[in-house]
Amino acid sequence: MPFWRRESAIPYLLLLPALAIMALVVAFPLIFSLYTSFTGYRLVRPDSLYDWVGLRNYSRILQDYDFWVAFGRTVLFLTVVLNVEFLLGLGIALLINRITWGQRTLRTIMMFPMMFSPILVGFQFKFMFNDNIGIVNNALQSLGLSDGAIAWLVDGKLAFFSIAFAEVWMSTSVFAILLLAGLFAMPRDPLEAAKVDGCNAWQTFRHITLPFLMPFAYIAMAIRSLDVARAYDIVTVMTDGGPAGRTELLWTLIARVGYDNSRMGLANAMAYVSTILSILFTWYFYRKLVAARRYMGGAQ
Amino acid sequence: MRTITTLALGTALVAVAGLANADETWGDFGGYTLRVKLIGGAQYEKLYAEIPKWEAATGAKVDIVSRKNHFELDKEIKQDIAAGTIDYCVASNHTSFAPQYGDIYIDLNGVMKPEVLAEFDALSLKNATVNDALVQLPRHSDVSNLFYQKSLYEDQANKDAFKAKFGYDLAPPDTFDQFKDQAIFFAKAPDFFGTQFVGKDEAITGRFYEMLVANGGALFDENWNPTFNSPEGLKSLMWFKELYDSKAVPAGSLNYLWDDTGMGFASGTVALDLDWAGWAAFFNDPANSKVAGNVGLTRAPKGDGGKRSGWAGSHTFSITTTCDNQAAAVSFITFLTDHDNQMIEARQGLLPTRTKVWTDIKAEFEAAGNPFMVEVFDVYGQSMAEDAFTPPLIEPWIEVSNVIWPNLQKGILGEMEPQAALDDAAAKAKVIMEDAGYIQ
Repeated sequence: MPFWRRESAIPYLLLLPALAIMALVVAFPLIFSLYTSFTGYRLVRPDSLYDWVGLRNYSRILQDYDFWVAFGRTVLFLTVVLNVEFLLGLGIALLINRITWGQRTLRTIMMFPMMFSPILVGFQFKFMFNDNIGIVNNALQSLGLSDGAIAWLVDGKLAFFSIAFAEVWMSTSVFAILLLAGLFAMPRDPLEAAKVDGCNAWQTFRHITLPFLMPFAYIAMAIRSLDVARAYDIVTVMTDGGPAGRTELLWTLIARVGYDNSRMGLANAMAYVSTILSILFTWYFYRKLVAARRYMGGAQ
Repeated sequence: MRTITTLALGTALVAVAGLANADETWGDFGGYTLRVKLIGGAQYEKLYAEIPKWEAATGAKVDIVSRKNHFELDKEIKQDIAAGTIDYCVASNHTSFAPQYGDIYIDLNGVMKPEVLAEFDALSLKNATVNDALVQLPRHSDVSNLFYQKSLYEDQANKDAFKAKFGYDLAPPDTFDQFKDQAIFFAKAPDFFGTQFVGKDEAITGRFYEMLVANGGALFDENWNPTFNSPEGLKSLMWFKELYDSKAVPAGSLNYLWDDTGMGFASGTVALDLDWAGWAAFFNDPANSKVAGNVGLTRAPKGDGGKRSGWAGSHTFSITTTCDNQAAAVSFITFLTDHDNQMIEARQGLLPTRTKVWTDIKAEFEAAGNPFMVEVFDVYGQSMAEDAFTPPLIEPWIEVSNVIWPNLQKGILGEMEPQAALDDAAAKAKVIMEDAGYIQ
């Protein structure tokens, strides 16, 4: 009897459609893009797909100063926005958790920024931070806090701040929602026990609420560290990585190399190098998540 | 009732006569749907409102499958090439972008009537030719000249102060050095600026390139080695840097593109604006512009080489080699670029590519008592005839541009010494030219 007709084959046969779909939508694109990273593939020259160049793309990336600057800036961007989003999200979740009336409405309102397309968010903040006609400079001048036109999208630090601000505005609610879910799931007993033992509000938060929330925070951070590449649209619209590469992140650089310059082989090599970043962030947050859960389980 | 019937009958007869006439011109493609990808944006849309007339005349339908700004359209077409999904007949194109696309567009020389092509400006057709193939039909051209606020030059106090400071009379600038002096003189940041420039993407590369040529330099030598890091290149970059450092331009200029500069001049907060003619009617329209009635125009300034800047190109239409109805596609792009439709675009200030439209639009503006628009077509006509030149029509142009403009920004902002910024860009451009096979 052939294997596929045996009873023991049934689980494999049942899994087969799922595996086939996974192979088609995940494995094939991954293998294809990995292959192209070893070629001189140019979008406008389909026949260049077979132009094998070995490790030349990777060797160019290793020597490309601009790439590594963008790599470092992306690490900084991720670190800053994830931490700020966590702190603000935690604050919002704690505040909403205390509300007894209108909480559902507030939860819905809180999710509004997530509903905007990142391109629209980019245009919104590009206008707000415009040095000449932007509302931010206008407000600062009207309030007497500034007498000049602050070049928000030109100055290196301010431009970084501006794109980070837009990203934080759009995505803080992801943290807030996940942390709020954590607060809802939190058992009341430890809090009441702490009260009986004479803990003050800070001690209760620091030693009970926060450790309980940390697994949720790390899940949110792991998701957001992968999802934050959505900021590509925001950065493209606001500064397109400029001026002078001051806001260049890996995503804007890779898109320019792949689409504007048509060098998809090189762009895919850059993308594979940049996945190191995603793997490192995910690995780090996963370890912290496991540690936080072990702590909550009383192992430490 | 009889009157209504008569009217209806008369209208139907006129419509049928009109259609019969149009049929002879545009062909009969009843039941066919022509798929097209067109450039979008306020100044391009007026033409598309005429498409129903072609549909009525031919019986065909036009399906606009994509309508985006040219940079987005460029990315989309590149993806179509990669995916092998060029399932449309007509696409908007541009003389600067066309050399990238290989052989996806047909040579119009073989399919368009020679007498129709003869009505187009010969230089526009030459610039639309890639590897001896006319891969695109010019729709309208662009080249930049200098708009200025007239009142600033008529003010006696300005004249006296300028003469005292710079030692020569205040008049609309004829050289880039005078342009810089005057921009710095007029600027009172952050409320008023001497000028502004497009600060990123191919836009600033193009501005740098035309100034480089005006100063007597060149992007490449005869063997395609980059030469823009020459003294002429440095002088061109320093023009931008000095204006930026002296706050004669808005601090955000390095993020500006065409809309920002046009809207800036129309807002009345900028003295001089080197820009394309497409803004002319807008600038002089009181409903849109605070400088309406106060707009002067002079030809683009000269550089040290005695040549005026004249970076030019044309927006065009191309027909794909995969098109399943070339006759309909030819009819469609001929319709969009015919005399009447070019007149519609020319009324906005867009520069026609048919020679007769130049004469007719000027006559129309003269008859309408609009001397400003007559002057616009005089100045831009002269500029197209004497000053216009395209960037190198080579496949890697956009890629070369993408290594030049970030370094121009670094030079302007002081992140790199200007000469070092140009040297670095030239070294990167050389690698691109080597990869593309231009340098052996």
